[in-house]
Amino acid sequence: MLLRVLVRLALRNLRRHLRRTVLTASAMIVGGAFLAWSMTVDDGSHEQWVDSGVRMGSGHVTVERPEYRLRRQIDNRLTTDVKRAAEQALASPEIAPHVVTMSAKLGINGLASSAAGARPAQIVGVDPVAEAGFGMIDDGVVEGRYLEPDDRLAAYVGADLARSLGLEIGSRFVVQAQGADGEITGQLLRVVGIFRSRVPAIDQATIHITLATAGEWLGSGSDVTHVAVVLEGSGRTRRVSDRLARALAEPVERGEARVVGWREANPVLAAGIAIDEFGNYVIQAFLFVIIAFGIVNTVLMSVMHRQREFGVLQAQGLTPGQTGTVVLIEGLTLSAVSGLVGVGLGLLGTWYFFGDGLDTSIFMQDIDELTFSGAVVDPIIVPIFGVRRIIQIVAFILGIGILASVYPALRAARVDVTEAMKFDR
Amino acid sequence: MAVRDTVAARTDGVWKVFQQEAESVQAVRDVSLTIERGEFTALAGPSGSGKTTLLNLIGGLTRPTEGRVWVAGREVSRMSNQEVARLRLKEVGFVFQAYNLLPVLTALENAEFPMLLQGVPAEERQARVRELFARTGMEGLEDRRPGKLSGGQQQRVAVVRAVASRPALVLADEPTANLDSVTSEALLDVMGELNRDLGVTFVFATHDSRVMERSRRLVRMVDGTVRDDERRS
Repeated sequence: MLLRVLVRLALRNLRRHLRRTVLTASAMIVGGAFLAWSMTVDDGSHEQWVDSGVRMGSGHVTVERPEYRLRRQIDNRLTTDVKRAAEQALASPEIAPHVVTMSAKLGINGLASSAAGARPAQIVGVDPVAEAGFGMIDDGVVEGRYLEPDDRLAAYVGADLARSLGLEIGSRFVVQAQGADGEITGQLLRVVGIFRSRVPAIDQATIHITLATAGEWLGSGSDVTHVAVVLEGSGRTRRVSDRLARALAEPVERGEARVVGWREANPVLAAGIAIDEFGNYVIQAFLFVIIAFGIVNTVLMSVMHRQREFGVLQAQGLTPGQTGTVVLIEGLTLSAVSGLVGVGLGLLGTWYFFGDGLDTSIFMQDIDELTFSGAVVDPIIVPIFGVRRIIQIVAFILGIGILASVYPALRAARVDVTEAMKFDR
Repeated sequence: MAVRDTVAARTDGVWKVFQQEAESVQAVRDVSLTIERGEFTALAGPSGSGKTTLLNLIGGLTRPTEGRVWVAGREVSRMSNQEVARLRLKEVGFVFQAYNLLPVLTALENAEFPMLLQGVPAEERQARVRELFARTGMEGLEDRRPGKLSGGQQQRVAVVRAVASRPALVLADEPTANLDSVTSEALLDVMGELNRDLGVTFVFATHDSRVMERSRRLVRMVDGTVRDDERRS
């Protein structure tokens, strides 16, 4: 009952000072719209970086041996049981709907040599059909073609590595690495395709061969070192990782496997995104601090003008706390409505870009390729609409509105009733 | 110390000293006064005599520097802010010189406001207010905002607001000061009737001779002290 009275007073006060209300609301609406627009665009941009990074090979989630990330050697391959258990878990109804594609691979460090010289290489044995689902490396063909399932002793080589080794389509070269028996073993391969991923570290070192060729060369049969999984979005990573870890609880406990999310698999990219997000948050926080001061100023001016009114309320029996609550409700209502309208407008402004994306190529005219922490930056940014993000934005605006109303509310609560009654205007 | 039920308010050796820069101003000095229920009392005196301050002390709007104040048998001077607010809500009605209606509420909503805070059911609230509006000639103006009412009409709403919740006493600070003589007389008629018919206790701070003439008790104040306390039949 009392709360309804306080709410009624607050709402009518907002309506009574309509111009002031609209001015204050406008600042918050513009801020909310900017926040919604920039955060959906930022989220889209970051998701694109992650997608690009994980599609280079590691996936959003990877199952591998605990030592594998430190030593990419044949010794650290998954057992057949672990690989089978991972594949079964990924096919389970809990996880499968979130999986876009997966690929079991054998990735090791080795040496590639030709008549032109020798270079360290990251050699990856893949199932060409499954790997094609990742879509970054197989799509980057600049000469020849990607691997096919029946290819034997065929290699798909990064463009910079091919150039440094003087390789062309049809060229033969030798790869050397530690085999399953612990001995260094070599294999003659023939180049069937050359690719450019636009990530220098990959183009300078990566060689794809079929898993069958790798098994034949290294004596590892159909064993793999890791299973990489691409999900429908990076937001699913933790949930899928946790479920996968639960499904593989026994091998994980025995130290035969671990489940790695993309952040751990690609810490540089994760850090890059975190830094970018931090920068964005700082700018947004600054903007809202400025808006908050505007709100404090407006609400405080309103409170100062209404000293007599607050005096009357307290003379009628309202406690100081209840008097302050009227001001808080005003701030809360103003923030809630402005926040929702602002976010709505921001999303409306972003709506067009949800389909075709926001083309930022005008800023990249003199740049052939822009990479960032192992990911290719696409100039087309498709914003992401996330319910959680929208709730965060609205909650943030509400929080700012409430914080900005606290001081004016205290001033209203602490009014000296007898002085306020003397107040004449 | 509890006081008898027939006493609406009492002060005992009350002092109020305001600090103005380096100077102390003794607005009320050692005032002991008992207001019985049903009284129609005027605190009269020149500006600065302390009558408004005494009214504020009785209403719990300000605290005494020294001495004690009781309202409806409860000691106001020792209460917390919350308790004083609750006491004011239940036991004290105010009528101010400048009407002090809430601009965002209609006449009816203003009048029922203290009862709304008290949690009186809507039907009862509206019945009480409508009855008092009829008595005070405010019928038909219930839905008007204060800005659309004349000074006299606003003051009538303020009187209804002060009376409707049936407080132990109504404190009226210069209620006629902003009104012309005809409107003042009419308002005093209304308050006189409410006092006579409903037993509402009124305490006025005034220097309006019309109020003094109609009061049945006249307390004259000078320099913060009670100079004279005259009861009339």
